[in-house]
This record gives sequence, structure tokens and C-alpha cells, in this order.
Amino acid sequence: MKTFLNSILKRYWQNLPDPREKVLLKNIENTNSADITEYQKSGGYASIVKALEKERTEIIEEVKKAGLRGRGGAGFPAAMKWTFASGDPKFPKYLICNADEGEPGTFKDRPILEKNPHLLIEGMVISGYALKAEYGYIYLRGEYPDAKHILERAIAQAYEGNFLGDNIAGKGVVFHLSVHQGAGAYICGEETALIESLEGDRGQPRIKPPFPVNVGAWSKPTIVNNVETLSNLPYIIEIGGEAYSKIGSPECPGPKLYCVSGHIEKPGVYELPMGTSLREIIYTHCGGIKGGKQLKAVIPGGISTPVLPPDKIDCPMDFVNMPKHGSMLGSGAVIVMDETVCLVKVCYRALKFFEHESCGKCTPCREGTGWLRSILERIEHGEGQEGDIDLLLSVSSNILGKTFCPLGDGAASVVQNFIKHFRPEFEGHITAKTCVVES
Amino acid sequence: MITITINEKEITLEKPVTVLEAARSAGISIPTLCYHPALERHGGCRLCLVEVEKMPRLQTACTLMTADGMIVRTETDAIAEVRRGILEFLLINHPLDCPYCDKAGECELQDLVEKYGPTTGRYKEKKRKMPESLEDAIIVRNMERCIVCTRCVRMCEGVQGASAIAVMERGGHSHIEPFSGGKYDCEYCGNCISVCPVGAIMSRLHRHSYRPWQMTDQVETICPYCGVGCTVTAQVRDDTIKRVIPKLGSPVNNGLLCSRGRFGYEFVGNRDRLTRPLIRKNGVLEESTWEEAIHRVAQKLGEIKENYGSLSIAGIASPRCTNEDNYVFQKFMRVTIGTHNVDSTARTGYAGAQQFIENIFGQGATANIISGISRSDVVFVAGGDPTTVNPILGLQIRACSRKGGAVLTLGKISGLRYFSAHALDHASFTETVLLEGIVTELKNRKALSGSHSSLESNIKDIAVPVEDVIKKCNIGEDDFRSFITALSEASNPVLIIGKEIMQSNGASYKLLLLSAINYLINGRIYLLSERANEQGLLDMGCASDLLPGSRPLEIAEFRRRYEKAWQVTLPDKPGLTLFEMIHGAKEGSVRAMYVMGENPLFNLPNSGNVKEALGNLDFLVVQDLFMTETAESADVVLPALSWAEKEGTFTNMERRIQKLRKVISRAGKEDWRIISDVSSNMGVSFSYDSADDVFAEISKVSPLHRDLTYDDIEEGEALWPFKGEPLRGGMEITCNKGDGAAEGGKYFLAVDRPLFHSGTLSRKSSALMRLCPEAVARISSTTAAELSVTDGDSIRISTRIGSLALPVFIDEAYDGSLIMVSNNFRGKGVFSLMEYSIDPVLKSPCVDNVIIEIEKSDRPVRRDPKNDSEVKR
Amino acid sequence: MLNETAIKELQEIRNKYPSARSALLPAIYVAQREFGWLSEEAYEAVSEVLGVPKAIARGVGAFYAMYKHRPMGRNIIQLCTNVSCMILGAEKLVDYLKNHYGLVPGGTTEDGRFSLVIMECIGACGTAPAMLVNDEFYENLSEQYIEEILAKFT
Ligand SMILES: Cc1cc2nc3c(=O)[nH]c(=O)nc-3n(C[C@H](O)[C@H](O)[C@H](O)COP(=O)(O)O)c2cc1C
Ligand code: SF4
Ligand code: FES
Repeated sequence: MKTFLNSILKRYWQNLPDPREKVLLKNIENTNSADITEYQKSGGYASIVKALEKERTEIIEEVKKAGLRGRGGAGFPAAMKWTFASGDPKFPKYLICNADEGEPGTFKDRPILEKNPHLLIEGMVISGYALKAEYGYIYLRGEYPDAKHILERAIAQAYEGNFLGDNIAGKGVVFHLSVHQGAGAYICGEETALIESLEGDRGQPRIKPPFPVNVGAWSKPTIVNNVETLSNLPYIIEIGGEAYSKIGSPECPGPKLYCVSGHIEKPGVYELPMGTSLREIIYTHCGGIKGGKQLKAVIPGGISTPVLPPDKIDCPMDFVNMPKHGSMLGSGAVIVMDETVCLVKVCYRALKFFEHESCGKCTPCREGTGWLRSILERIEHGEGQEGDIDLLLSVSSNILGKTFCPLGDGAASVVQNFIKHFRPEFEGHITAKTCVVES
Repeated sequence: MITITINEKEITLEKPVTVLEAARSAGISIPTLCYHPALERHGGCRLCLVEVEKMPRLQTACTLMTADGMIVRTETDAIAEVRRGILEFLLINHPLDCPYCDKAGECELQDLVEKYGPTTGRYKEKKRKMPESLEDAIIVRNMERCIVCTRCVRMCEGVQGASAIAVMERGGHSHIEPFSGGKYDCEYCGNCISVCPVGAIMSRLHRHSYRPWQMTDQVETICPYCGVGCTVTAQVRDDTIKRVIPKLGSPVNNGLLCSRGRFGYEFVGNRDRLTRPLIRKNGVLEESTWEEAIHRVAQKLGEIKENYGSLSIAGIASPRCTNEDNYVFQKFMRVTIGTHNVDSTARTGYAGAQQFIENIFGQGATANIISGISRSDVVFVAGGDPTTVNPILGLQIRACSRKGGAVLTLGKISGLRYFSAHALDHASFTETVLLEGIVTELKNRKALSGSHSSLESNIKDIAVPVEDVIKKCNIGEDDFRSFITALSEASNPVLIIGKEIMQSNGASYKLLLLSAINYLINGRIYLLSERANEQGLLDMGCASDLLPGSRPLEIAEFRRRYEKAWQVTLPDKPGLTLFEMIHGAKEGSVRAMYVMGENPLFNLPNSGNVKEALGNLDFLVVQDLFMTETAESADVVLPALSWAEKEGTFTNMERRIQKLRKVISRAGKEDWRIISDVSSNMGVSFSYDSADDVFAEISKVSPLHRDLTYDDIEEGEALWPFKGEPLRGGMEITCNKGDGAAEGGKYFLAVDRPLFHSGTLSRKSSALMRLCPEAVARISSTTAAELSVTDGDSIRISTRIGSLALPVFIDEAYDGSLIMVSNNFRGKGVFSLMEYSIDPVLKSPCVDNVIIEIEKSDRPVRRDPKNDSEVKR
Repeated sequence: MLNETAIKELQEIRNKYPSARSALLPAIYVAQREFGWLSEEAYEAVSEVLGVPKAIARGVGAFYAMYKHRPMGRNIIQLCTNVSCMILGAEKLVDYLKNHYGLVPGGTTEDGRFSLVIMECIGACGTAPAMLVNDEFYENLSEQYIEEILAKFT
């Protein structure tokens, strides 16, 4: 019963508009796309063989040419991180795949993890080889129990297929991989907190420097990359960095997974060229606003990224251009909100999230997120007071730039941007002493 | 060379440090809360944010390392704004209950708010509520005041190594808790209290009894408990000690303390303290005057000396008394009485072991700096748990392991269970074979250098094949081999030897083997010492065979030196050792005994026998703080001043001489003064007016302490070998192999040395009594299973000489067939069950392999001493 | 105390890491499974097997939202109410569970059949509102659909 229901309902990904073939979501319609034989049928694991013939430095060179940027949110050039890490003489080195996917609105890594795990494994083996890292861990968020079993099965198959182990593809290359399951902490997506968590500690960010590339997991050089980032590797090896760099935005090329949710006709994960405009994503690919309602606001890159009003959506969705348009690409998690949504409530809910996820290490975030939440709560409940908006802004600015890690900054900037673009709605709540949208 | 600029001021640094350290070194203050010099960097409170040119965000001074050319500003308006903001955040959930918070006046948060604001609050919601936790007997937790700087947790895990508390939950719900949530299950070092910047973690001992600014005096002195000799600061209000705290940067303990040092001070003000001299009149001890008491002592000792000769009188000195006390005591015995019959409980292990090792390696072989242990790469522990006997030394071992050093132990040691790389869990009573095996293997791996002929000749024939070792000791071959490898590859190793070795059958032979190991790996030896001035009393000559300066009195040259100094002729034969005295008293050759600050009737094995012996005496004088078991059977009892009430010096196990300072004043006399009064009453006057006078004489007559002054000591320059001349080693070695384990026993009795007690003094400290209120039989879970008993059940332990019923305490961290019972509680001392034999070389007792009978006895009813009501477990 | 197989399982997990401490998160999962929830006893067991001080183990466990520190119902409903789910009606579903099952956030039904845990984003925003029941995703939820789903759990 359930399986029937879910087989129709679970289809949360969408195709690339033909004719261009897909890279990251290749074949995932096939019912057992997660199986190694399926994967190999369509040329999977060919890139490993190809890669192991190259020099390590060559691979890093290709990635550099490709201009691959990290897909985890920061958009840090992958090749640069890799060069730092492989420059460090210490051994062993560790490669960690960041599959914590905690940013609200984000579900782009999930189709890879659940439907195309071998692509990720192949990508990790190639990176591991390039970086001389012999051990890899996939830090998987606790909220993805299915993915855990799928990944573990895939890893077992890869060992059998000799794509993992002590003599990969008979080339004497060593790479071991296992899954480490998180337990419900958004902050563990931050790479140093992730490492703490991997070492069996409370997931709190570490002091930087030293950076993980030099002193990471178990004090050894450690490379942390996002699922999507690593999954690009087989393709880069297949077509070469040069060709890859022609896809999408020149400044940060490649295919990109956009995950669209909220009041939208066809929500889901879309594989599109990096730099596709927000408007195109919403109206061309996702069929516009649900039920033909009015667009009120869009959060373009996950909760932590600045919200945009309808007149600001003609921006190319990539790491370089979004900041110029007053927001960020983040994790490419587009949350669409129509006219019926109360933005004070959304802001309040967002702060509830930050309060809940604050690790508590640093003062401004630990105390400030809760304070902001409580002010927003009373405004939303019609108990807002004169001067509350200024108080919100003042508290936010006492947080912004003072915190240990970007989580706290995120919380502050969310408040600032909601007020910046939708101040009247906040004022309305305070004067009307009730929610002006829903009532 | 690094040059940086802070607030337009140029600072040059030898090596990179944090911006905070750089600033402070240049007298520029930056506010901090989570930073603590003794702890790992944290960077959480954000109070130390500063502006750094060419850096996008503000930086935390406590974490940012200086780099050449760095330009820093710490006092801009923006920074002031930030500090106010951070402090406002810290206050929104803070109860602001300063009026009745014990921390007020020394609270870092209070001071910072006073300095940087804010003065008004903008937070309108309800504050976080977390009721103050009074579940624990010693430590109060108030999590509403907690600012989550985690200094306590970093101390507990990173320095103390107890890992008893942790931050629970996260974000705004973060709070610090012991495992159980309320009561602590820990070592009660209280070092978390020291580092808490606010009133979140505090001692209950002085709760609401004073305000920090009402302290009338605070005195730096030395802890009275163990041989480590930690520096403590005692804070006083109207002549009572309110609390004892450590001091950062002090030698030996550098800001740390253990439970005894921090919470064990209450005995000083205990109501049971003796106040007036007592004289036994027709059977009962009655109060009298000093004149009468002193006169009585002098007269009785005079008579007995007259009638039975000097050798019929013996004296027991005290490892709890100062060097000055002990020097005067032995001088009294030697000069006024005319005998070398002076000894002490150091004879129960430390004295013999030290002399044995010094005969091999030379005087001072065991005088090694404690802080050096953490810098060594291998620590080999044999014979006891250093973390309970000498806790601060134990921390050094943990630090060594944390820095990557290897800690090797004979047997499992509870206090080191998370720190030992290899614990050879050998079968009971197989240490000898094991040590022989280790010596054999080390000899195979390292050739004998030939630099120590007498030692080498003693070990050259030792050869026990590995197979035998692992079979006899029942240990894994790999374990044994990796143990040996670690030992033999050590570059800067340390050996730590405890009483379980010193008091075991064949102790001298085991010490020979350990010395051999030390010789082969070229290490340093530490002897665990249970009493604060155990070393000092030996150096003062309170031993039947030693003159001051630890000079063997059989060597005529030394005797002559003191005969000249004291204007007497000294007997040329050593006097009676502690146990010979007891024996003598029993069979009548010893007629009188003078006991200063010791409780032999309880503290010596086979205490029943000691009681009988002392009962035999014609005359017994006891000088003490409390009515001890021994005092009860005395003819005259003289009340002495305690460690806190007098000046003087202690010599710790490193042989560091440290100054004891008078903390509070109390009517009465120091031990040395009582003795000299008695002496002049017997016609030999010593004419000292102060401890200084006594020390002046010591530094004049003792070749070891030559020219040493209190000023040298104050300056911390009284380190071995002082300005004196140590004796050389390389002497003839004799030792005794003992006769192995007693036959036919399944369970054996061992002396437990609990962290929370020390001799019988700790009984009088209510805090320590709350921590460990009664004697227990500590057994392994295996033993518990065999006896089918659980915690709270009670067993009866019987030996040939006695029997005790005790509640069992099952120690998960320990396994083996030994039953461990402490010797601290009145009527429940393990020594009442222990017969002993004397090691012919060390002259110390062997108390291991005591065979015992055990039966389960019915649950004892524990009664509350106050209202005698039954206490539920 | 943990049973033999669980201890074996832990020792295998432990070998995936360079240090025993690193096996703490998976170990706590195992203890949660074996004991039903993370009682002091559960943490003592973990501490025993991994040789990690028990206060540390508990402190680590207490950091993570998915570890359960009080007894739970037979089935755990983990419902997302984060923005994407909220704007598509997650709150109504919370009310629905309250009214029809007497199930409040953080609470458990009297018959011990269900516990309700409110989740931050569970990565099903494209098919919001969504929830996990035990280890299974259920998406595009509606009141009827929830009723349909919960009917299958006893
Ligand atoms: C609060 C916070 C949460 C984060 N969460 C994630 C996440 O869930 N997944 C992810 O891949 N990166 C996350 N990141 C980014 C990581 O810190 C890191 O930059 C990234 O994993 C690097 O991989 P990339 O270079 O491939 O993007 C987060 C960062 C912060 C500050
Ligand atoms: S900003 Fe501070 S409290 Fe918030 S998550 Fe980062 S480190 Fe933790
Ligand atoms: S003192 Fe620097 S952050 Fe706390």
C-alpha cells in the first residue's frame, strides 16, 4: 500500500530539459539506478580507470581547468582546496563527503545519495587518488535513513567490483570508504563541526587556522567536499576540464542542482546549467507559481540566504552573480512563497530553526538567536511593541560579524533582510496587533 | 622575531603567541571570559574581539596568533560597542542575583559589566530557569549563572583527566552537568571551582559564610597532606579558615589541587581539638596545666633513664610535623635522653626503599622534579595508584599520556585506566617473576654498560625466559613484548614506585629489580610519599640509623661532627627501628615512649599487638592535635599546634624545602617548643625562641642543609641538593627474595589508600568525611559475583588476629582477587587484621599475602551520628 | 548491559575509525536501539564498551536532536515544520495529530503507540509537507493521508 502511494509520490526530482543529457541525475528514473550493474551499463566507473592512468597532479589540473566550485554553499574553488591539502606532507590524509544537507529547503544531494550513489563513490575514489587520501567517510545526516542503507549497499558492491579496497582496478591504488551517520545537528554541516562529530565529539566548530586541509580529522590533512561537488568528478574526467568549463556561467561553470519548493507548480530537484536565472527556474522549468497566485518572495539558496522580493528575481543563480543581486546561491535551495504567506511568520519560523540549531559555543548566537525569536514571536502573535523592529535590527547587528561561525551571521542577516524588503508587513503586525496577512 | 603594533604601541616577540598574550605582555588589557592560561583555547565568549588591519571580520585575541607586521586595535568605539553587546547577551538570561551570590566581589562577569556596561536591560521575556543544584555534598551548581565558557569542562577533561562533567544539550539550553545530573561522581579536585569565572560552580564549605572582601587575611603556605607539597592559599576571616585555594604559577601544583588539599582543612577548627594538657591520674586522663604536665614528663623520663638507661626510652617522630619540630625531637632523644631510639612511620616503606635506592645510585636519586613527569616519554608505575596517594603527581602522569607519552603499569590502576598504554594485569604475587622477566628482556636488548659494577654483578645472572613469565604471570605474550618495547625505546623514562611494592614480600629484591630496570633504561625514580614531611623528617635525622642530613650514624666521621656540634658523645650503634621499639615495649626492654604527632596504635600493622605493647610501657607521652587511639592510652597528653598555626618548613618528595606560614593564631605551643620545654626541665636547655632559630641551627650543623636560609626558601631556591654535599652510591647490595605468596589462600587482603582520606587526620575534616563516610571493602565485580554480594551488602573478613564486618564497594575499574580495606576509620582499620614480617634489609613490614576468610554478613544498619536515626542507602 | 551481538557490532563499528572515541555516535545509536531510549544505563554500557568516560558519552549524546533521552512510543512520528513544509500546511497537521490522536509535539499517545517529534528540515521540501515514521519517508501529506499511514502502525 505504502509503496504504491510512495512510488507515485516519491518522485521529487525533475529531468533536465532535453536534449542535453543529464550528468548528476543521469538514469535516476530507472527503478534500480542505485545498482552497480545499472550504473556500469551506462558507462559508470569508466572514469576511475581513466583517472588512475593519469598523474595525481594532472587530475587536480583538470579540476582547476574545469573551474569547479564547491556546491556546499561557500562556492570555494575545489582545486584550490585540493592543492593546499596535497601540499601537506602529513599522512594519512582523509577525504570526507559532506552529506549533511541540513540547510532548510535543500534536498539536492538526496537524489544522488538515494538514486545515484555510485556516481558519488566514483567521484570520491577519483578525488581520493588525486589527493593521496586512502580513507574516505561520507558524513550522512541522520534524517536520511534510506540513503544510509542504499549507500552501504552501494559501497559493498563497489568493494566487490574492486572499485574500493587495497588495489583498485588492479592499479594498486588504495581507498576505503564508509558511512558515518549524523544525529540531527545542522551545524555538523560546517566542516570543522563535522570533523568534531566524526571524531565522536559534540559538533561544535573548531578554531581556524589551522584549517582542515592541514589539521583536520584526527589531526591529519582532511578534505571536506559536498556530495554534488564530488559527483562532478567522473564527468570532468570523462569530458575534460576544458569542455566542462564551457557549461553554464563562465565564472563558475558546470551543471547545478537546484531544488525548488514551496508554492510552485512543479517542485523538485532540477539539473540545469549553473547561472540559470531565478525567473527561468521558477517560470520556465517549474511551471510558475502554484495555482497561478502572485509571487510574494523567494529565498534563493536555502533559509540562510537573503530573501528576495518579486522584482529581484532576474539574477543568474551562481556564486559570483547572486551577491551582486543582494543574495547568495547558497545550496541552490529555492523556496517560493505566494501572496498568502505571512513573512513575519516565515522569519519567526526561520529564527526558531536557528535557535534550535545554534551549537551554543559562542555568546552572540547562543543567546541572540533565542532573543530574536522571542521578539518575532510576540510580533507574530500580535503582541509586538513600539520599537521592536529597531530592537530586532540592533540585536541582529550585535550578532552579525561577532560570531564564531557563519550560522549566527545567517540568523542575523535573515532578520535584517526580511525587514529590509518587507518592513511594512512587520509594522502592520505591530500596529494591527495581529497577523495582517492570514486574517 | 615578530613585531606587531597594538594601539599604536610596537611590541616585539621572540616566538609567535596569541594577540592576547602579546597584549598582556605589553600591559595592554583585553577583557576575556572563556580564556584561561591553563586551558586549551576556546574562542567562544567573543569578549576579546579586536580590530586587525587587513582582516575582514573582528578577530578574537585569545585565538589569533600574532604575525609579523600585524596592526591591532583594542579600544575603538566599535569595540566598546561590541563588548557592551556581548555582555548584554550574557545578561539576558542571567538571574542578576549578585546580592546573595558568593562570587560577588570576585566575579569576572560582574567586574566586566561594571566596566563596559550595559546599565539597562532590553530583554523583556522570561529568563531561563534552572534551579540551583544542592544535590551534591561539596559542590553547588547554579546553571542560571553559567555563561557556558566551558572552562570547568576543559579543566575536568583536559587537565584533571577526570571527565566527570560535560556540557549537556546545546544552544541556549547548554548547561554543565555531572553524569548523574546532580551528584558528582568524581575526584572532587574542585579545580572546576577554581576556573569558574562566575558563581555557577562553587564550594559548599563556605557557602554564604563570608563575602570575598571581608577576608581578614590570606596566607600562602603548604598543604598538610601528602608528599607532593602543593602551595595553597588559605583565606581567613576572624581566625577561621574560610577556604583554601591554589595559585597559578606556584611550583609543583601550578594552580591545581586535589580533594584533600582543597577541602580537607576543616580539621584545624574542629571542636575535638585538644586544648589543655592531660595527665592520667588514677586511671583517667585529667586536664592540668602546662607546668605540671611538662614537669611530669621530664620527671618520669628522668627516672626511667636513671633506672633503666637511655636505651629503655624510644621516640616516634612525625611526618606531619615540620623540619624544625623533627630536628628538635631527634636532638632531644639523642642529646637529652642519649639514645638513637628515634624513628617514624617512614619506616613502613619510604625510608627503607629510599636508602636502598640511594645505596645504589647515590643520595638524592629519588629527588626528581614532579613536573618533569609530564615531559617524559615513558612512565612506568609499579605498586599503587599515584592518582590517589599523590594526586597532583598523578596529573603529571595523565598529562604525559595526553602528550603522547606511554604510561605502563604493573596491574590495572583505576586512576590511570583511560591513560595507560599498557597495563600488565599479572596474577597476584607474581611481580617478582614479571620484573625478572623485564630485566632479562631489557638485558637482551641493551648491553650492560659496565658503569655500575656492584649493580651489574647482582643482575647479570637473572634470566627468565618469556614463556615462563607469561605462563607464571598469566599475561599475553604480545602485551608483554609491547611493554618491553615501549620501555626499551624510551628516551626520557620515569619510574614511579608505590607502597604496594615497598610493603610486599621480598620488597628489597623487587627494588633491586626496579633499580636494574631504571639503570638499563636510564630513567628517574620517584617514590610515592603519603605524608607531607616524610622526606623532611628523614633529612632531619628522625631515623634510628641516620643523623641530620640523612647521614648514616655508623660512620664515625658523621657522629663526631654532631658530637662536636651538640657537645655530647653519641652511641655508635643505631637505635631501635619503629618495629623494634614495639617489640621492645612488648618484652619489656623499652619502658617509656615519646610519641610526637603520630598514631602508632592505629597506623601500624597488627595494631592489636601494638596496643598490647604500648600498654606494657611504664610511661607514654603523646603530643597531638586530637585524642587519637594512641593518646587514649597515654599517661600524659600534650596538645600541639597544627600546621596552620605555626611557622616552619616541609621537605617534599622532590626534596624541595618549602615554607609553612602561620595562617591563624591559637593559644598553645609548637611541637618543637614543647620538646625544648621538656628538655630544659630535664636540665638540657636548647634556647630557641622561634622556628627561625631552629632552622638556623639546622643549616649550621647539617652538611646537607649547609648555609640554607629562610630567604633562600622563600625565593624557592631550596632545591636538591641545596648547597650541601650528597653522599655517593655504589655500595654493597644485599637483598632478600622473600618466601613468595602464602599458600592456600583464595582471597587476599590489601591496604586501600582512598583519595579522600589520609591517615586519621582526615577523619576530622567534615568535607572529607562526607565524601567518604565509612570504611568499605573494595572488591572486584568478579569477587562480588563469587561471593554473590552487591553494593550495600556486607561481608565479614577474618584473619588469624581479627575480624571486621564491612559494607562492600564494587569497583568496576578494578579486577582481581584482592580485597582492599583502608586504614582510616576508627575501629575499622585494615591493620587490625594484618600480621606482618619484617624485610631484613629494608626493616619495613611486609603486609601482603595475608590470607583471609570471608563470609557474607547481614546488611549493617548505618546510623546518622547526629540524631542516631537509621540512614537509608 | 549490552548483549553479546550488540557488543560485537560495536567492536566492528569501532574498527572503521582510527580511534575508539570516534565510534561514539554510532555506538549511541546502537544503545538507543537496544535500550529503547538513552537512559543512564545505556550510556554506562556505551562507556564500558568503548572505554570513553560516561559523562563524555552523555554530553556528546545530549548534543544531537535525534537521540532520545526519554522513553518513546512504539512508533516515532518525525514531522517537519520548517518553512517549506510550514507554508504548505504542516501546522494544520500538527493540530490534526493533536485533535485526532491526542499527540502533542514531544509527547506520546496514552496507548504508547506513537510519539511525535517536531523536526527541522528533513530534506523532503519538494514533496512537502513530509514526515518520517520510524525510518520511512511519507511525503505530500494531507490529513487523510496521515490517517491512512498511521492506520498501518500498531
Ligand atoms: C552552518 C553551516 C552549515 C553548513 N551545512 C552544509 C551542508 O549541510 N552540506 C554541505 O555540503 N556544506 C555545508 N556547509 C559548508 C561546509 O562548511 C563546507 O564549506 C563544504 O562542505 C565544503 O564543500 P564544498 O567546497 O564542496 O562546498 C555548511 C557551512 C556552515 C557554516
Ligand atoms: S555561531 Fe557560534 S553558537 Fe552559533 S553555531 Fe556557530 S559557533 Fe555555534
Ligand atoms: S576570551 Fe577570547 S573568545 Fe572568550
